[in-house]
Amino acid sequence: MCAAEKERGLLVLAAMVLLCGILAVELAHGKIDFTTLAVAGGLVMVWFAVQFILQKVSHRGDGLFLPLAAILMAIGLIMVYRLKPELFLMQALWAAIGLGAFLLSALFFRRITFWADYKYIWGIIGVVLLLATAIFGVDIGGHKSWLIFGPVRFQPAEFAKLFIVLFLAGYLDEHREVLAFATKRYGPLVLPRPRFLAPLLVIWGLAMLMLVLQRDLGSALFYFGTALVMTYIATGQKSFFAWGGGLFILGTVASYIIFPHVRVRFDIWLDPWADPSGKSFQIVQSLFALGSGGILGSGLTYGFPEMIPEVHTDFIFAAIGEEMGLMGAGAVLLLYILLVYRAFRVSLRGKTSFEILLAGGLAVILALQIFVIVGGVTKFLPLTGVTLPFVSYGGSSMVATFILLGVLFAISEAGEGG
Amino acid sequence: MYDDLRRNVRKTSFVLLGLLIVLMIYVSYIQVIESDFLAGNALNRRYIEAAERIERGRIVDRNGVSLAYSRQDDSGRYQRCYPYGSIAAHVVGYCSEKYGTSGAENTFNGYLSGATNAQRFLGPIVNLWSNKAGNNVVLTIDADVQAAAYRALGNHRGAVVVLDPRTGAILAMVSKPSFDPATIDSDWDSIADAENSPLVNRAVQGLYPPGSTIKVMIADAALTENVTDLKKTYLCEGVLKIGPDYELTESNHEAHGRVNLEEALTVSCNVTFGTIGLELGDSRMAKTFERYGFTKPLDDELSEATSRLPDFSRLGDGDLAQTAIGQGSLLVTPLRMAMLAEVFANKGVMMEPYIVSKIVATDGSILRRFAPEEFITPTSPEQAQLIGRMMESVVNEGTGYAAQLPDVQVAGKTGTAENPHGAPHAWFIGFAPADDPQVVVAVIVENAGTGGEFAAPIARRVMAAVLSKGGESHD
Repeated sequence: MCAAEKERGLLVLAAMVLLCGILAVELAHGKIDFTTLAVAGGLVMVWFAVQFILQKVSHRGDGLFLPLAAILMAIGLIMVYRLKPELFLMQALWAAIGLGAFLLSALFFRRITFWADYKYIWGIIGVVLLLATAIFGVDIGGHKSWLIFGPVRFQPAEFAKLFIVLFLAGYLDEHREVLAFATKRYGPLVLPRPRFLAPLLVIWGLAMLMLVLQRDLGSALFYFGTALVMTYIATGQKSFFAWGGGLFILGTVASYIIFPHVRVRFDIWLDPWADPSGKSFQIVQSLFALGSGGILGSGLTYGFPEMIPEVHTDFIFAAIGEEMGLMGAGAVLLLYILLVYRAFRVSLRGKTSFEILLAGGLAVILALQIFVIVGGVTKFLPLTGVTLPFVSYGGSSMVATFILLGVLFAISEAGEGG
Repeated sequence: MYDDLRRNVRKTSFVLLGLLIVLMIYVSYIQVIESDFLAGNALNRRYIEAAERIERGRIVDRNGVSLAYSRQDDSGRYQRCYPYGSIAAHVVGYCSEKYGTSGAENTFNGYLSGATNAQRFLGPIVNLWSNKAGNNVVLTIDADVQAAAYRALGNHRGAVVVLDPRTGAILAMVSKPSFDPATIDSDWDSIADAENSPLVNRAVQGLYPPGSTIKVMIADAALTENVTDLKKTYLCEGVLKIGPDYELTESNHEAHGRVNLEEALTVSCNVTFGTIGLELGDSRMAKTFERYGFTKPLDDELSEATSRLPDFSRLGDGDLAQTAIGQGSLLVTPLRMAMLAEVFANKGVMMEPYIVSKIVATDGSILRRFAPEEFITPTSPEQAQLIGRMMESVVNEGTGYAAQLPDVQVAGKTGTAENPHGAPHAWFIGFAPADDPQVVVAVIVENAGTGGEFAAPIARRVMAAVLSKGGESHD
């Protein structure tokens, strides 16, 4: 069996998951809605079409990416249909647009060096998007992360992270020798000369700004962590972690002391049972959902995940845990682990240092995002409003994650070719 | 080329994949180890919500009359209805989202809600066959008798217990003041802390001094232990002097003169029974209470309060005499006094009281059946008959005349229990018809006055209600 056939086989599996899931929800409600089934069928056609086109243009990217995304997307669509049936159509539409974005980025990023040349432009776009959100952001559903232009509204942060990684990959690629060797020793720690450090300080400042303006410790940790890890990959200097970690802890402690809302977030995390019906209502409900689900879950539509506020976006993982049990939640986590593993594999097989850094950076943000949101809804980490890639309801997240996957897919082709 | 970069990427991937694996272990911990704590947490409303989605089983009386059922409202949720309202409130109980359950709603919650433990571990697959409705609970209660007893008690505080002496089945159990289980959520604040405790089921949880009703047991003990015989007489001058400074008096300082045991019971002579108590002594008194089951707990399903017996080994003579006339530190429940009367109605056998006869699934199959069982046999059939005769003369010629029925011979005993809360509690225990007992009743009216005046008429109406139904309601 050739690679393309295997990929199609996996896509058939994902299609069966999607259609069976939709049918299960409909049967439990006692009526079959053919429109929904047709939409799901249409979406299945789209992912086969994307696979077909990529095969036609002789794209030899990693054949696991599309099926992994498809099956995660299928689980997400089933849960969205079960939780908010009225949003199913929109989510399916966004999934289709996402698949289109995947196809486009898989094609455009074949000429990868072109993108490295404009790194500062991507960096500026990323920073502007983040700053704009911090300053002009509108609060929808508890997150001050939306920008609204007339009828269009989106969450720029989802795209900003791609630009930031693109910029960091380009910048670190160009300056990695300097960063690694033109250092000054400060006691046991080393630091590059300030002029090379400036972009990293900008990102640290941005992270702190997000922490303060948006109460968003997770996003701050996310951007800052990404920058630090990518710097480490580029230079191999572990002392950056000490510097960066120190600065971050300093900023966090300071904001804990100065800003009450940051303190509230931390206190909820440290002891959610102090105010289970008030401040920590959401996280406590999420834990109830996971605990009630147990190993096998309550079965689709037989649980009560709607007791968790915002369950269809940030807390969708808890809903999966309740209705599909540890079997479902664990499967989703395993799919992500597989996805992250394949992303790092792309990086390891990259032919140029830019490819390695870019793929590595994208793998890092993927892993960190999953870690931050799953950790958040299970009280492993303080809660943060980020989405579960491919699964949560939300157009910006869906499209941005598909672009990310498309870039990885494009880079993977280079590796396969060599 | 770029080996250093790749080495760094590899290390990074190990760390990040490691974090995700740790997270997976943590999620497993939450969903497996912490599962019971989280699923059973009081703040987790899932089981209550689940209960609203299925039709909770009905609670019916012995003739199939609904005492509690669920009705679907416009939003598709089930709501609990109680056709008998406050009449059967303590027996049936309430079922509230906020305040939990009580009575049969509580004891048989598992059956009524249709949730059984065995299915919990099978996961979603049970949704294929699990009940969409709970099981029905069939009580031994007779709704007509229950209503008659409720009405008979009037506006008094107190309790009425009605038993079938042949089986121990509880035909009615009334406690007043009562409450409406349908409006428990809105009424909670006013009734939960109310001074007269409407939520307490006085029939099984009210602890009262039994007063003179205990004398039927003392009479049996006196004969069984050969302390006295039917001929021996006692002289009652209205006061029994015990030791230098203790006096046991008759209720109206009335002197009964020379009386034998039967006469003493008929007029409820405190002097005679106080003397008998002293003659029995502490150890035989203790033995008697044990023989009559006061120290043996009942089935948990009745959630009965344990009787308080005095510490006989440390009891002074005065207190011993007090105990023999049902005063002092002795405290019992109305159900126990009904069971005491049952002994003399049922040839010396005390049946295990029970309130649920069977549990029936929606398809009609019987999940559990409760059969009559003997609880204890405190005395012989001959003795029981003898004391029964004495109880007849209590009703025919003595303090219990208000319990008389036109065509039926009633046997009984009154009690007037002094207590620190005001006027005495009025008691009556008895059964009818005396030659073929079909109903046993215990009545207590709190702080009303004498048993003959206030409790006996209530007992009469309750017994009449049972007997007027004839044999048709009895299995």
